Amino acid sequence: MAVLSSSSPPKSKAKAVSSRKVREWFTGYLFILPAFLVIGIFGLFPIAYAVYMSLFRWRVRKGSFIGFDNYQQLLGNPWGALVFLGGLLLILLAHWLWTDAFKVNKSFRIGRLLGAIVLIAAGVFMSLGWTTMLTEGSRDTNDFLNALVRTVFYAFGSIPLQIVFSLLLASLLYQKIRGQELFRMIFFLPYVMPVVATSVVFRSIFSQREESIANQVITALGLPAQRWLFESKPILQVMLGERLTQFNSWLSQIGVSWQLEGLWLGPSLALIVLIFFGIWTYSGYNVVIFLAGLGNIPKQLYEAAEIDGANGVQKFWNITVPLLSPVTFYLTVLGFIGALQAFTQLYVMRQPFARDSIDTASVLIFDTFYKSNNFSLAATQSIVLFVLILAVTLLQNRILGRRVFDA
Amino acid sequence: MLNTQKTEPQVKTAKAFKEAYEFKWFHLIIYFILLVGAFMSIMPFFYMVSTSLMTLGETINRQFLPKIPQWQNYAEAWTEAAFSRYFLNTVIITSLTIIGLLCTSILAAYAFANIQFPGRESLFMILLATMMIPGTVTFIPNFLMIRGEIIPWGSWMNTLQALTIPFIAKAFAIFLLRQFFKGIPKELWDAAQIDGAGHLRFLMAVVIPMSRPVILTVTLFTFVDAWNEFIWPLLVTTTSTWRPLGVGLWSFVTEAGPQTHWLMAGSVIVILPVLLVYFITQKYFTEGIATSGLKG
Repeated sequence: MAVLSSSSPPKSKAKAVSSRKVREWFTGYLFILPAFLVIGIFGLFPIAYAVYMSLFRWRVRKGSFIGFDNYQQLLGNPWGALVFLGGLLLILLAHWLWTDAFKVNKSFRIGRLLGAIVLIAAGVFMSLGWTTMLTEGSRDTNDFLNALVRTVFYAFGSIPLQIVFSLLLASLLYQKIRGQELFRMIFFLPYVMPVVATSVVFRSIFSQREESIANQVITALGLPAQRWLFESKPILQVMLGERLTQFNSWLSQIGVSWQLEGLWLGPSLALIVLIFFGIWTYSGYNVVIFLAGLGNIPKQLYEAAEIDGANGVQKFWNITVPLLSPVTFYLTVLGFIGALQAFTQLYVMRQPFARDSIDTASVLIFDTFYKSNNFSLAATQSIVLFVLILAVTLLQNRILGRRVFDA
Repeated sequence: MLNTQKTEPQVKTAKAFKEAYEFKWFHLIIYFILLVGAFMSIMPFFYMVSTSLMTLGETINRQFLPKIPQWQNYAEAWTEAAFSRYFLNTVIITSLTIIGLLCTSILAAYAFANIQFPGRESLFMILLATMMIPGTVTFIPNFLMIRGEIIPWGSWMNTLQALTIPFIAKAFAIFLLRQFFKGIPKELWDAAQIDGAGHLRFLMAVVIPMSRPVILTVTLFTFVDAWNEFIWPLLVTTTSTWRPLGVGLWSFVTEAGPQTHWLMAGSVIVILPVLLVYFITQKYFTEGIATSGLKG
């Protein structure tokens, strides 16, 4: 009896605890349910459904199951696409060979050599895959691949400059400047404003009319007026004009078969205006984050450097830049994701005269869906874009992320 | 060199003078660069406001400032673009989105911060991963869903729920709130339990009042996002019944053509509410972005 009575109370207590635990679990699930329902239905499920759609013929209404035909139509030769993707992954391998593979036996030279070889191979693979897709592909392939190139132009045109400008402005603002708050507020302003409205304003500033602000500024500088958002010609062609044909004929005269043409002429002037818009909009956001990052750098580091006689520029390159590298990395990744998805500003500023010269991937997807009503091809395009975004993020994580200084 | 080495005090004053001089000169450059940056940031807004007050003739004749401000442009743009309805729509859509998002996100964030249940960490990781999903992938299936072709709930085209429900939960908001809730001392929860309070009571009576700043930050972000939403309303509103301001401005652009003064007045109307809210609360904006951005 004594044994029983002493052992039974803990038992019931344990039971009470476990039923309370279950109730606790239940409350937890109940609390997260509404949010997960919404995110699940409108955020996660659509990915699976987009994959499902891409396997059908689907123009407004669902048609017959066609397997991977949409991918075939989009990428031309699937082997070309695979070779291209393999090239992207080879960059990873090259990076690994270059830095890590021969760390153990310290024969860096072999690693570097192999890395360089693999990097060249990656380039060959990528261009080979690309041309295979282009030559064997349909018009859809052509449109999509060109849209991807424009997207890359847009991303590489806007992000590095954004980072440089905002780092410059943030580190100047951080010098205990009077009116720091005011400046920060002004720089951040473009980011908060509705993109539709600011795009309408830019549309007017960069219109082809002679009296537009952009043309007034450029003629005041003694340069000819431009067609800006209406200009479908690539930037180098606009800048060089007649000299471009002269240069190309000179090239063929000296026996070079390569010509400065196509992609080498860069994005259209219209896309340059959009890159400028991107820099204008997102630099302020970067400034705010850089300022927060600067605030996290311990003051003692600067004081120690001053005792050692470092000047402002040395402090900037040897303390600020390396310690801010995680922030820079974060902003670069964020910038890429944003640039690959940019839509509203491109859509609003698009002029028929610029033809398809500013149609990046997301604009093309919208057109395929909304104008051509080819739902399944649009879904296929969006999935390929998604895979590319993931691949680029992975590459950045592995290569840029490794260079980040971890304090 | 030789001259300065002769007398020590002279060297010192010269050096001090030089430093002070360099310091000021340096600051002048800093201010110059900052002012250029500020000018670039503000110039489009200045152009917008200035043009919105011009006559049509002035917009064509290379003017920088209007001779007499044409305030009636705003009234004209307002009626021409039928902004009354769009403005009201946007206000309703934005408020409902904010309320819905706060309800779902505060509950979820609280659960992730203070309730123990199996799979909590992995569910949270899934939630964070959804931040990476591009809208370009989701909008096509979502459009079909709104038309009732996936879940048979009838067509939601041109309805209020189509414009609000997809936006009433966001991983980013939950993440931001959870970070703050985690900082609330556990002792408070223990004390509340002794008083016999459950999670919901504790959340309402203690956590929410303590978390006003972060809730305000989330509210502001949601406000800006909802007010600026463009592609989704463009897709799901084919009539003006629930069309928001941004899409209204876009259709005004396609109709008004070269009437720049009206277009700029319309842009001011769309921007002004956001601008006012931003000026009043900008500290919560920038600080919210700074802390969330760095930890994200």
